[in-house]
Amino acid sequence: MKSERLDMTQHRRYSGLKVGALAVPTVAALILTGCSASTGSSSSSGGSQEFSLSFATSNTIESPFQVLAENYMKSHPNVKITFNPQPNDSYDQTLRTQLQAGNASDVVVTSPGSGTGRSILPLVQAGFLEPLDDAAKQLLPEGSASTFGSDGKVYGQATEITISALVSNETAADAAGGFPADFSSLQQQCKALESSGKSLFALAGSAPPNTGLMAMSLAASRVYAEDPKWNDKRAAKETTFAGSDGWKAALEAVNTLKDAGCFQKGAAGGGFDAITKGLASGTSVSGFIPAPSWKQLQSAAGGSQFAVRPFPAEQGSGNSYVFASANYAFSINAASKNKDAAKAFLDWAAQPEQTKAFAEIDGALPVSGLDKYDFDGGAYKNVGVLIKDGKYGPLPNIQWPNSAVYDALATGVQGIITGQKSPDQVLQAMDAAWEQ
Amino acid sequence: MTATMQPKSEAAEAPRRGKRTPGTGENTRPRRGPMQFGHWWWALPGIALVFAIHYVATGIGGFFAFTNWTGIGSFKITGWANFEAIFKDPTKLGALSNTLFLAFGSVLLGNIAGLVIALGLNRVLKTRYILRTLFFMPVVLSPLATAYIWKYIFDFDGPLNAFLTAIGAGDQAKPWLADPQWAIWTVLVVLVWSSTGFAMVIFMAGLAGVPVEVEEAAAIDGANLWQRFRNVTLPAIRPAVAIATTLGIVQGLRVFDPIMALTGGGPAGATETLATLVYKQAFALGNFGGGAALALVLAAIILIFAVLQQRLTRSNPED
Repeated sequence: MKSERLDMTQHRRYSGLKVGALAVPTVAALILTGCSASTGSSSSSGGSQEFSLSFATSNTIESPFQVLAENYMKSHPNVKITFNPQPNDSYDQTLRTQLQAGNASDVVVTSPGSGTGRSILPLVQAGFLEPLDDAAKQLLPEGSASTFGSDGKVYGQATEITISALVSNETAADAAGGFPADFSSLQQQCKALESSGKSLFALAGSAPPNTGLMAMSLAASRVYAEDPKWNDKRAAKETTFAGSDGWKAALEAVNTLKDAGCFQKGAAGGGFDAITKGLASGTSVSGFIPAPSWKQLQSAAGGSQFAVRPFPAEQGSGNSYVFASANYAFSINAASKNKDAAKAFLDWAAQPEQTKAFAEIDGALPVSGLDKYDFDGGAYKNVGVLIKDGKYGPLPNIQWPNSAVYDALATGVQGIITGQKSPDQVLQAMDAAWEQ
Repeated sequence: MTATMQPKSEAAEAPRRGKRTPGTGENTRPRRGPMQFGHWWWALPGIALVFAIHYVATGIGGFFAFTNWTGIGSFKITGWANFEAIFKDPTKLGALSNTLFLAFGSVLLGNIAGLVIALGLNRVLKTRYILRTLFFMPVVLSPLATAYIWKYIFDFDGPLNAFLTAIGAGDQAKPWLADPQWAIWTVLVVLVWSSTGFAMVIFMAGLAGVPVEVEEAAAIDGANLWQRFRNVTLPAIRPAVAIATTLGIVQGLRVFDPIMALTGGGPAGATETLATLVYKQAFALGNFGGGAALALVLAAIILIFAVLQQRLTRSNPED
């Protein structure tokens, strides 16, 4: 009662409260609707000279996509590009939600294949992407047309060639007596480095993308060097992961690396910071990270030189092999109202000087003119011979049917390192995920 | 003793039963009297929002549990297939047992710790107001932010292992959150830490209603400390126990962000719970139908335990 009386006096005194009580939710609702509508209206109001661009960012270094787009704005003063950067770990989900809701950016960064949330093929199937023209077709890396579209149409414009192998601190490798040439000398060096409190590899054992990339690097010389079409055979059910000697050997090699002390102490719980810290300080010699990271590491660790290396194969097998593929692409949102402006940007980005510039910004290899690329002396000198000899293929999970297969591999390898799982169990889980 | 408590609990019951207390509404309703404040339709925006956000959205989500929707594009209705897949998959059953372990573990330990602290800080201590604030702090802080601090503490190069090494127990140092045996216990420690403050506040509210006279009377009658707690205090704060445990179990069953930040469900699923699995299936792996089915299972489990728990801790069978 007491409080009611109090309320009433207040009510009588400030009858404006009544209005306020109604006004607050109303204004809030207006602000909320205003917020959600603003993305759409700003991208459509400027006509064909304005468009928006979504890309993923994973660190504080300016995204190469943003640098490229800023260069475009500089050379085309009448164009305005709105940037929509998203954190890398939530990019896939945000992209899918926005495409589903119809308010995604005009140009979005996607990945070929169907192995991830941003992969082109499922997005095409759902009708979210616009077919691209000849400029994009000409940039298709050899043999990858089926991962960039279907029925002869291309829905993604490759941006660069990314090598997925090892990035090594060459200064630390030299101090340890040079990088090992084959798998058995690698084990020797692991033991030597371990006794001096260092490690040959820095592993983010608690970050599934990193354990997965390590397993695929181990499978490069054991599976894909011998049979580059292994994924096609798996898709045709001619083989399985559990029935493949190569895959078994690759996952057993995880145990070999662990027993030889190749990983830093506490690797099972390590995050990506363990890799950057380890490689920059030289306490770890190398890591399983995408090749363009060499450039960022080199700028972070002033005194050290960084390079890209293939994972050492078994001695005398001649099976050295790396993954080199276009892992990212520009796509145009099918619901975009600024398709002409977006297409003009993609045509510009497909020009040889722009693909070259983009690769340089990111520290990757250019998507066009790889045969004429000068590997000598640069960070890629150790993989140049393999690329020239054609001993490379696309990152395997690009061709896998869904992201659950890679997830089964990545979390499975984590289980192998902690002793929870055997290689056979992991391979069976991958087969089960493939059939989902 | 019971007689002392009875009027109090009845007074508390009255508004819950929805009976109008004389004089508040009926007399003033027909006229715009001084007691009138507000109209029923003022609640409409709120009702509409609750209905749209809680019920319609949940209902649509529930519908997708019976489809093979990937989160984008078209879908087919697949009946109970998603539910069959859940109960056939051993990893999902592992997540279920982890969920129950963490929920009941955190409720049990969190409530015991909360009760002990509440009893300790109830009357005597001079610094009790500061201590109450300190113990309640974890509830106010962002679970995600504190989870990252804990992650740092349990890191292989973190303070805990540094401490162990300093006291000569360096051989016990391990990556706590990536150790298959220890990871779930480490997560439990964090959950108990964050739930203790909440239980403490509820118990303190309960303890405030326990009359000092009754305790004194029991003490004069020769009851020792444990007997006074067991036979006087505990029965008096039974409603508080019911509330604290029910809310704790509901919260414990659906806990998501600390686990996601600490281990992400790892190593290799050792700390996976239904909530983290729902997220992974629906959003990371593009299996929205399967994720929705899992979320329904989780909702059913929470409902069952909440009802069971309410029955078990009902304040008095004669009520």
